[in-house]
Amino acid sequence: MKYTYTSITIVLFTALVSCKPKIEAPEASMGDVDGSRYIAIGTNNTSGFANDGLSFYSQDNSYAAIIANQFNEVSTIEFKQPFVSAGSIGFNIDGKSPLKLGYKTDCKGVTSISPVRIAGAGDLTQLINQYAGYGPFNNFGVTGMSALSVNLAGYGNPANGAGNFNPYFARFTSNEATASVLSDAVARNPTFFTIMLGDDDILAYAKSGGTSGPIPDANGAAGVGFSGSLEEVITSLTANGAKGAISNIPDVKEYPYFTTIPYNGLTVDAANAVTLNQIFNPIGISFVVGVNAFVMEDPAAPFGVRQMVEGELVLLSTPLDSVKCNGTGSVFPFRDEFVLDLDEVAEINSKISEYNSVITNLSQTYGLAYADTKSLIHRLKTGTVYNGVSMSSAFVTGGAYSLDGLQLNPNGQALLANTFIEAINFSFNAAIPYANPIKYAGNIFP
Amino acid sequence: MYKLFTLALLLPFLGYNQGFQVNFQGQQQQGMGGAGTALPQDAAILFFNPGAACFHHSNEINVAVTPVISKGTFLEDNTNEVAHTTSPVGTPFSAYGLFQLKEESKLKLGMAIYTPFGSTVEWEEGWTGRFALTRLKLLSIFFQPTVSYRLTKKLGIGAGFVYSYGNVNLQKDLPLQDASGEYGHAELSGSGHGFGYNVGLYFEPTRHLNFAITYRSQVNMNLKKGEADFTVPESLNDKFPDGRFTSSIPLPSVFTFALGVKASEKLAIALDANYVNWKAYDTLAFDYENNTSSLLDTKSARLYEGSIAVRLGAQYKITPQWTARLGLAFAMTPVQKGYVTPETPDNNRLNYTCGVGYSISEKLMLDASFLFTQVKREDTNLETGLSGKFKTLVFAPGLAITYKL
Repeated sequence: MKYTYTSITIVLFTALVSCKPKIEAPEASMGDVDGSRYIAIGTNNTSGFANDGLSFYSQDNSYAAIIANQFNEVSTIEFKQPFVSAGSIGFNIDGKSPLKLGYKTDCKGVTSISPVRIAGAGDLTQLINQYAGYGPFNNFGVTGMSALSVNLAGYGNPANGAGNFNPYFARFTSNEATASVLSDAVARNPTFFTIMLGDDDILAYAKSGGTSGPIPDANGAAGVGFSGSLEEVITSLTANGAKGAISNIPDVKEYPYFTTIPYNGLTVDAANAVTLNQIFNPIGISFVVGVNAFVMEDPAAPFGVRQMVEGELVLLSTPLDSVKCNGTGSVFPFRDEFVLDLDEVAEINSKISEYNSVITNLSQTYGLAYADTKSLIHRLKTGTVYNGVSMSSAFVTGGAYSLDGLQLNPNGQALLANTFIEAINFSFNAAIPYANPIKYAGNIFP
Repeated sequence: MYKLFTLALLLPFLGYNQGFQVNFQGQQQQGMGGAGTALPQDAAILFFNPGAACFHHSNEINVAVTPVISKGTFLEDNTNEVAHTTSPVGTPFSAYGLFQLKEESKLKLGMAIYTPFGSTVEWEEGWTGRFALTRLKLLSIFFQPTVSYRLTKKLGIGAGFVYSYGNVNLQKDLPLQDASGEYGHAELSGSGHGFGYNVGLYFEPTRHLNFAITYRSQVNMNLKKGEADFTVPESLNDKFPDGRFTSSIPLPSVFTFALGVKASEKLAIALDANYVNWKAYDTLAFDYENNTSSLLDTKSARLYEGSIAVRLGAQYKITPQWTARLGLAFAMTPVQKGYVTPETPDNNRLNYTCGVGYSISEKLMLDASFLFTQVKREDTNLETGLSGKFKTLVFAPGLAITYKL
């Protein structure tokens, strides 16, 4: 009897200790979306380019791959990517390896954590075409692709030369001579697609300090202007009734690449002030001890140099060691390629706005879900918090951008994927669960 | 059974009632929804009402423990991810000694030791709120020497001086990953002490009806020499130096008005109304001795609100040896919308309780009680952005031994 009571008590106690309250989750649903043959067309973030390179790891965490993961939570789909091999360090087409965080000693002998290359050179063996072995693919993200080039036949053919050829597409084109990104995408007979195009047309101009060719016109026929090119992509993809989502274009100037170094980041001590004033006073520029605007080249200015003004941007490509120790940005004014002046900033602003009108119009015309990436990027500029994790566009420490300051890291890619999912759920009566950004990696510290 | 209890006793206790208040200070009262401030019938009255202790005519020692089993679940709104608590079984305890110098003396002296605030909440490894909280252990023990004096046959007053010792251990992960994918971790721990008092008035106008008013003061637990221990990737060690911190946690005051009805020799009814001044818990601040650009002092708004609890209970003497008890309590949450945290996913609640008493002999008595409550809360925290639904089930079986000297 006593034994029975004891047993009952133990059983009850164990039952209480091991019970777990249940909360019913809302039912996940694809709504009107058929995700079975999902393809993504886009540029840098779409391909998974990050840390200034392409690697298995970064591809695996592209927002397109994350969207596919979330589709998979609801119903099983296959999403194939032209992966760099998992064991490779990765590469970019300049022959460099991706960046990682490491220790770097600057010209003044100060060692700090800084992005450094993983290796002396990138793994260019990964440029070999993957189609025969692993294709066809679902991710048509091509680093550095202009919206005007999406339907360029032979875009994977080196013989076509710079501008008409992209080595990243050469990695996975179905036919070097004849295929375009769009023709390969259409050949997949997609049931659903995401588009993020035009961002690299703006970015290519911005990250070159306005020295690359002009940003293509917002309006114009396919291959000539953004609107015609984009519409051609959309009409081709929707021809068989596929649904899709399209991203607007963020203000790329909010990327850390453009926000990390302030225009007035020139700190001058008493001795330097004397020297600089001796040099520059004759042409009407003077310096004070403390914070000063950098000096840049400007052919329109008297003597071809002037101080930067508020609203102008110094790019992260600026050689910082030279700034610290060799008078770059002061004695030796910044060259055009390291800054965006007010005219260039205005050009970027107006093109983003024109491109976004095109995107808004086409998304309405073709019934596409509209992913507001512009708002996401702006929210990161001011800082956002997710489940106790603060994320911002602060370089390295912000936690959302990769170490190149231009592309997102997995954390940020998940936020971007969620921006698409939000739009898809809204437009297509779906309830696809969001990705959890904090389960994706941030920047890895040594 | 023995092993389970030994284990339970070793583990820190977990509290569950309104914020981190723990209302497990007497088994007879627990059986009656936590009411009994105007019903002196065992030595636990030293906690409930020092002013009524002088109406309890015996030299008595009363020792009790209440294992608290609390099971929490969280459903994250955006991702539908589910997480469970892995909190250990809590063991709030109480020990009372009530003495009179001579039979029917007007003056009674007592010592009360109890644990009115505290909780250990631990969430499963890798849960989505890990960067807000992985584990919080808060423990407080109050020592209360008490004097109770019967002014007239109908009126008693009493006062206790409170010395409290407490410790806290807060842990969370830091969103800083090293090359092996491990996240950083922060552990803040410290102990402190504080002082307060517990005063009460008891009035027995008729044999059938009693009134009581009590006030338990706020106690500030000041953590003067807390230790902050950070585990971060090596390159960030200088940004997160281990070192001292200071903090303070207010344990709020409680004002109680209570009614006791002795309807017959067998039936007694108790009604308590508490006002807990949780407004005192306005901010949780950590002041680090070594600040860096990454390690700044923090001030997290808690903005708790004063809260009311109403407790109703009854007991019935079935036989001279057996007594049955039943109770119900409604407690308002002090936690406002936007301030729900994974350490106290609190909400208004109903506590269902029952209990039983058994006299083994004239001198030895056993009292057992059982409490069940369920708390559901949905919120988006303004500071961390943690958004979802919490559900907590609490089971608290308790046992007391009373020995009359």
